[in-house]
Amino acid sequence: MRIADWAADDGYRIFADEPTGLVYSPPAIFYPLLTTRYSLLLPPMTGTLNLLIGLSMGLNLMALGSSRIPSLIRAMSVQGVVLGIMPLLMEHHIVWPVALVALATVAVKGAIIPRLLQRAMRAANIDRDMEPLIGFIPSLLLGAGGTIVAMALARSLPLLPEHAGSLLVPGALASVLTGFVLLIGRTKAISQVCGYLILENGIYLFGLLLIHATPLLVEAGILLDLTVGVFVIGIIVDHIQRAFDSLDTSKLTVLRE
Amino acid sequence: MIVGPLLSVAALALVAGMVGGLRRPRLWLALTLVASAALLAAAGVVLCGAAGFAGAPRAELSDVTSAQWLLGDRWEWRGEFRIGGERPHMLLDAVSALFLALLAVLGGAGAAYSHGYWSDADHPESAGAGRLWWSAMVLMMGLVLVSANGLYFLFGWELFTLAAYFLVTLGNHRRQVRAAGWLYLAASHVGTLCLFAFFVLLAERTGSWELGPFLRGHAGLAPLFWLALAGFGVKAGMFPLHVWLPSAHANAPSHVSAMLSGMALKLGIYGLVRFSGWLPLPAQAGWVVIGLGALGALFGIAFAFAQNDLKRLLAYCSVENIGVILIGLGAAVLAVTHGDAPWGRLALAGALLHVWNHGLFKALLFLGAGSVHHATGTRELSRLGGLWRKMPWTAGLFALGAVAVAGLPPLNGFVSEWLVYLGLFDAGVARGPVAWAAMPVAIVLGMAGALALASFAKAGALVFCGAPRTQRAAHAHESGAWMLGPMTALAGLCVAIGLAPALLWPVLARVAAAWNPAWAVGVEAPAPLGTLGGVHVALALLALAAAAGLWRRALNNGLRRGLTWDCGYAVPTGRMQYTGGSFAGLVAGWFAWLLQTERSLHRPRGLMPERAHRVERIPETVLERLIGPVAALVLRASSAVRRLQQGRLQSYILYLVAGLAALGLMVFLGGTP
Repeated sequence: MRIADWAADDGYRIFADEPTGLVYSPPAIFYPLLTTRYSLLLPPMTGTLNLLIGLSMGLNLMALGSSRIPSLIRAMSVQGVVLGIMPLLMEHHIVWPVALVALATVAVKGAIIPRLLQRAMRAANIDRDMEPLIGFIPSLLLGAGGTIVAMALARSLPLLPEHAGSLLVPGALASVLTGFVLLIGRTKAISQVCGYLILENGIYLFGLLLIHATPLLVEAGILLDLTVGVFVIGIIVDHIQRAFDSLDTSKLTVLRE
Repeated sequence: MIVGPLLSVAALALVAGMVGGLRRPRLWLALTLVASAALLAAAGVVLCGAAGFAGAPRAELSDVTSAQWLLGDRWEWRGEFRIGGERPHMLLDAVSALFLALLAVLGGAGAAYSHGYWSDADHPESAGAGRLWWSAMVLMMGLVLVSANGLYFLFGWELFTLAAYFLVTLGNHRRQVRAAGWLYLAASHVGTLCLFAFFVLLAERTGSWELGPFLRGHAGLAPLFWLALAGFGVKAGMFPLHVWLPSAHANAPSHVSAMLSGMALKLGIYGLVRFSGWLPLPAQAGWVVIGLGALGALFGIAFAFAQNDLKRLLAYCSVENIGVILIGLGAAVLAVTHGDAPWGRLALAGALLHVWNHGLFKALLFLGAGSVHHATGTRELSRLGGLWRKMPWTAGLFALGAVAVAGLPPLNGFVSEWLVYLGLFDAGVARGPVAWAAMPVAIVLGMAGALALASFAKAGALVFCGAPRTQRAAHAHESGAWMLGPMTALAGLCVAIGLAPALLWPVLARVAAAWNPAWAVGVEAPAPLGTLGGVHVALALLALAAAAGLWRRALNNGLRRGLTWDCGYAVPTGRMQYTGGSFAGLVAGWFAWLLQTERSLHRPRGLMPERAHRVERIPETVLERLIGPVAALVLRASSAVRRLQQGRLQSYILYLVAGLAALGLMVFLGGTP
């Protein structure tokens, strides 16, 4: 993409039209950075929002770098809480459906799911160390690279003007990529569940773009699905442990045909 | 017109034969013969035209009317209904009628032969299936020949290939038969794949599945000819694509081999003739076809000469004859691209007549080989010998077929090869770039002819002359009337074409005119076919008189049978005779680089040697040295790819992410997913 195309992009044009009257033509590679800087100058709500999303990006890296399952679960649940309070910050006037969704998300992702996973872990008596297929340092590098790619990619997407300044899309992409790295790079069933949940957090972030368009029922349904899914997995994990004496999914390859 | 009802009768009889013939061989035979007669009549009506060539007073026709007469008859039918989304469209013009006539003759002859050769008494488990598939194959071959719609053509093509597969594997309790069947099926489907691409692209570019001479107007279709050449070439046994042919022909029951060689290969030729006539041709088409033909003629007969299996020898000889036909066709294509030169018409007429001739004499020879196999249980030349005494009819008919296939006067093989030669000579005299191709090709054709003569001298001598090499050969018996009858009929046709070639010229002229309307220039033969016929009759009479005279003298002098030559041995045995390998040794040496003969030699050692042997095996060079290694490579690559499927969830997610990322990248870089 040429620089001219970047400049013609919706988001950038808005900033260029601001009263400061500055016209930028720095190299294209700096655009994501510039956007971030500008986004901090946006109204305080968006600034806080971006701060939280930055936090969740950091939690992504924590999840990738943690070598023990409990800390992975903690990172995942904290991320859930952080994301959960986000809808409240996005609104000037808080309406009750949004508040309900936020509350439910915080409760489910921050309390119920971690509790379920911890119980499953205890019931199955799982070794707390993870056995990574992709080592922790490479995972971290992949996560960091993924975050940078997400930032760059989000700039080139045709977004609505009001979303251009926020980190919602890069944060969502970063979480999805982190979830994939965890799914691919970890062998224990529980850590894979965590990877899946982080991936879901990314999707949830995407969903925030459409918070007005998504009915309450859908949000509630997604949360319920997640809870039930984790609940079922907790039971299955226990059964796998009893049947095979291991939770290493890389050993479950007999039924491949 | 009467053609439609005749074809309907034939189709009905064949379907009835499929249904009713499983248990009732006589009913099936009657139905198949009726179908054959109907097909032959339909083809004859179209080939002879409404005027009929016998009744047409050629001298009174002006050039213009004779041109119209040549372009005259064709039968066309379009259904008002749709099957598979397409209206049936059938077209029987002179080109397809030529092949349909051959199909009728061979279908009938093979059916009658199988009545004695593959009877319920000998093969209770497969005779019924053999009848069913025979009828299906004839029906589907007929469908291929008359359909003028790409979709129906493909249907017919695929179904006839399948029917032929089941016929090839009738004796499927033997491992070699199953292997030959698989090879045939695989090779055929490679060809069919090309044809699928060909017809689909054709339909895409013209907007319909319809076929016809109107295709010539679409200049963009020319590159499709290469697809057709590959697809039909596999079926026709064009030289480097002939790999399926030897083993399938050798291992099929003999009446099936006769049909495969006589008709299935010809359907490949039909496709080439048909679409070289209907499609606009790329400029190099003629050169490639004539080059492949020359290659096939020479290498095919070199392989044939070296074979030690009677039916394999015949099969490779088919590769040679297909080469001869392709030489004629290639010359005709060259002539078209060089301003409709008249020598192309001669070469095309030769090629088309060779289609008939090869169908007739090769079927005769395969049926003869079947007789030998039926009587002795072996096809190996080194286990036969001396059958002349036991099977005089088979021997005589086989010898006649051998003379015909070697292209000797006064039989039909000479007539068609002579026409091809004349075309090539005229092209050579005509100067221009074609002359540089025509002369070498004529020389190659001559070499191939000489080798064909040598090959059939070898086959005839080893099988029928000398002394029996094994007990089974010594206790052979003559075949029954059901087997000898069809062979006699085929031999009669060979003789008839040889003695009266002038009568066939109008037919050939019609076909040439249907192929290229620019050649509808009159019914006068450009070659002295009448004279040739006269010479042939004289030669035949002379030969008969000489034979009768010799026979009389031998009778008068008293006949004494004994060993011809015992070389001073006190107790000579049949196994001391020349073997196939020793017969072909000299020529096999010339072509050693091609044949790659594998030899194992265990020399006799010591004063009283106990064991000694020498085994020669002629490998299928193209298959084993070229296609085999490539196939092994493909197989290794495929099993490497298969390792991707290992059942680990993490890997599958990785594939998913990689696929998503690739798609995303494609969109990002501006492509359309």
